[in-house]
Amino acid sequence: MSVIDVVSVLLLVAGTFFFLAGSTGVLRFPDVYTRLHALTKADNLGLGFFVIGLSLRADSWVVVVKMVLIWALVIVAGATAGHLVAEAARTSGVVPWRKPR
Amino acid sequence: MTLTSWIFDIVLVGTLVWLAVRVLAEVKLFKSVVLYIAFGLLVALAWVRLAAPDIALAEAAIGAGITGALLLDAAGHMRGRSQPYASASDEPSAGGDMDA
Amino acid sequence: MKLILVGIASALLLSIIVGLSRVERGPTPADRMLAAQLFGTTGVAILLLLAEAMETPALRDVALVFALLAAMAAVAFVKRAWHPGPGESEKGERP
Repeated sequence: MSVIDVVSVLLLVAGTFFFLAGSTGVLRFPDVYTRLHALTKADNLGLGFFVIGLSLRADSWVVVVKMVLIWALVIVAGATAGHLVAEAARTSGVVPWRKPR
Repeated sequence: MTLTSWIFDIVLVGTLVWLAVRVLAEVKLFKSVVLYIAFGLLVALAWVRLAAPDIALAEAAIGAGITGALLLDAAGHMRGRSQPYASASDEPSAGGDMDA
Repeated sequence: MKLILVGIASALLLSIIVGLSRVERGPTPADRMLAAQLFGTTGVAILLLLAEAMETPALRDVALVFALLAAMAAVAFVKRAWHPGPGESEKGERP
């Protein structure tokens, strides 16, 4: 394994960590808004690490550009969906969670 | 390559069968629709593992995407109407209850 | 190297399976839909990994469709399936 391979694997492991953290957050957090927070971290950072790590091993620039475009689409779609879901939850009266005293 | 591929495939197939049973057995409509969307995603992954990326493309776009959106729309229309399952089972919150 | 890529893809598949339990018990419909969003993004990551491991560049197009699908499902959910009417309860749950 060359240096590029090692760096690529490290980035992929970091991305996996963010996906597992996002999954854990969606499972463990108490209400819709906090779960949205966990979800968008997995979307942006996890997939970002994956795209960078796989770009190091890519054959041509076309592949890199395509993966970056996929990442950009996921970021834009995630932000839009998060905003829509949060607003729908707020207007339908889901009360934000507070720490019980 | 081979052993990890086997693990991936076996986990994928097991989850698919379990999800199919869950989709069909679920009483709450909205939950069933979301499970169906997840099922479509995993079926697309299965087509990918079978080395058929074109069918995976069609499955992701039509099976999970368009059908999922149409079923979500239908579930929204069904909301608030009396459900045959709910009246049959005498449970006021069962069957087509979006929020339960 | 391929072994590592497929292994990471298996870990992501396990994360999807664990996330299915949020679909099972999420009190509001938004919780279930958020889990579906997470599946979409994780599916994109799995497909990018498999495109490298199986040496099939066409899988990146499938990943693009997955990303599009997740956005479409979320918009259809908010606009069509979960519009709180005037007669609905305030908590987002039925009385």
